[in-house]
Amino acid sequence: MGELRIAVQSLKMSVQARMQYRVDTLVASIAVFVRESANIIVIYLALLKFDAINGWNVNEMLFLFSILFLTYAVVVSLFADLRDFSRMIREGRFDRLLVRPRGLLLQLILNNADVIASVGHGTLGILLFLLSAGRVGIEWNPVTILYYLCAIIGGVLMQGGIFIICSALSFYFVETGSIRSIFYWDMRRFAGYPISIYNKLIQTLLMYVVPFAFVNYFPAQFFLRKPDMAGYNEAYIYIAPLVGVFVYLLAYLFWRVSVRRYYSTGN
Amino acid sequence: METMIAVEGARKYYRVAKRGKGLTAAVGQLFNRKYEIKKAVDDISFSIKRGEIVGFIGPNGAGKSTTIKMLSGILYPDAGRVEADGFIPYKQRKQYVKNIGVVFGQKSQLNWDLPLIESFELMKFIYRIPREQYEKNLRQFCELLDMESFLGQPVRQLSLGQRMRGDIVAALLHSPELVFLDEPTIGLDVVAKEKIREFIRYMNKERNTTIIFTTHDMQDIEKVCNRLIIIDKGKKIYDGSIEEIKDRYTNVKTIEVLLENGGKETETFDVRRTSVNAVLERIFAERRVKDISVCEPEIDEIIRDIYEGRLRLDAPSAEGGAL
Repeated sequence: MGELRIAVQSLKMSVQARMQYRVDTLVASIAVFVRESANIIVIYLALLKFDAINGWNVNEMLFLFSILFLTYAVVVSLFADLRDFSRMIREGRFDRLLVRPRGLLLQLILNNADVIASVGHGTLGILLFLLSAGRVGIEWNPVTILYYLCAIIGGVLMQGGIFIICSALSFYFVETGSIRSIFYWDMRRFAGYPISIYNKLIQTLLMYVVPFAFVNYFPAQFFLRKPDMAGYNEAYIYIAPLVGVFVYLLAYLFWRVSVRRYYSTGN
Repeated sequence: METMIAVEGARKYYRVAKRGKGLTAAVGQLFNRKYEIKKAVDDISFSIKRGEIVGFIGPNGAGKSTTIKMLSGILYPDAGRVEADGFIPYKQRKQYVKNIGVVFGQKSQLNWDLPLIESFELMKFIYRIPREQYEKNLRQFCELLDMESFLGQPVRQLSLGQRMRGDIVAALLHSPELVFLDEPTIGLDVVAKEKIREFIRYMNKERNTTIIFTTHDMQDIEKVCNRLIIIDKGKKIYDGSIEEIKDRYTNVKTIEVLLENGGKETETFDVRRTSVNAVLERIFAERRVKDISVCEPEIDEIIRDIYEGRLRLDAPSAEGGAL
């Protein structure tokens, strides 16, 4: 239970620290919310003209997006230090974790939360969910609720895993910002749309390299069963949450191997 | 007494990319990088017993921090053996660090925006400190370091000295038996320095804590340590008591002359090798002197001379620098 106490104290500290700058926190959270909403509004307006993209109507698209935002809100409250890991190494703050009697990843995950991003993305995610979930014909029962929760957890683990892998790369290269930006941010941008609209290359990337398709596309198909699902193996829908677990485990192993390099070079 | 730390033939080499000048060199480096080997720690051996206070000094880049990092388990030695508290630090990290405390004077571990007490609470959970022990330590440390008045203020509003005291407490709440302090007095005023020295002495005396610290301030060493290790260019060049160094250099004198044109010059020399007469005669022959004073060098000067290679510790005496 010691871990839970660390988690509670750390979260309390992250929130309290932000509350020292109430106005700034509020304005910054709103700014994140507005920035992300702007993208959605553009897509929304475009869809009003087109009706649908590969069979997905506006509400179904919003549902697809909502999963992306909701998972990201959780990701940044847990993996903020791993997202900004190269800076942590540069500033020598990683040394501090090494002299504490706890697992390194555990400390990184529990340590800091990006409160602003979490509130901004979380609010938008909830809003999109409320707007869309009622209109896309989802029947909520214990099974669908359980699947939904598993999909969210899997999505968080998948993205957390990507952050861990990118962080582990900083033990080999000094600056990994561009790798992160290609493998995370660009892929995430693709994942905003049903993957069936893309060519083979991008689909392959989204399914087997940085499997964002298993964060929102396949889970959304569980509820929506759009015709474009015919192009993919039905099983992908059911294994979607497990893909997150798998990526996370892989990331964990890669981290274990890579972190040893730090002991030999320092910063 | 029991051995706390044993270091034998430890080496740590870094590979540093060689940088040429100009654009051509920069482009060339993309394809063909040349590396230089920097010997941060080059064959260092020493052992420290439980309950000792040892001060490490040496010029910047001498290898002090690398040594501390190897001892605290952050780095492993490329060759040689490092053992502390019965552990191989980097191999048995989680077990080992339960019983050590580390303060990096230049990098705070406190939350900048919150009162000290919040960071202390986090330590309580991270180190699984029993409540009684936590409260007893906190009360005692705060009293010794005079911290009650600023416990409730956000760390960003504290002075450097107050913050450093906070960092020291955060690193010691779990009652470690082995403590590393990397430049705990850097940039502090005399009062804050004295508080911290008193505290280090107290921890050592009352709790038998083994303490290893690095500093650039010889006063720290004189007032706190019973043993001094000097490191330069990755090598240990002195290991012993501070009195011993002083004794060895009582024969070294410094003559300071104030010239009539307002200039000031000093000469350091060993009276066993150069007579005072000879030095003075030469000075008087060459310069017009307004005032003159003869003094024994301060420990600071001795150390500076050692760093700069003017005094060698293996030789019993040495000639001073020229005028």
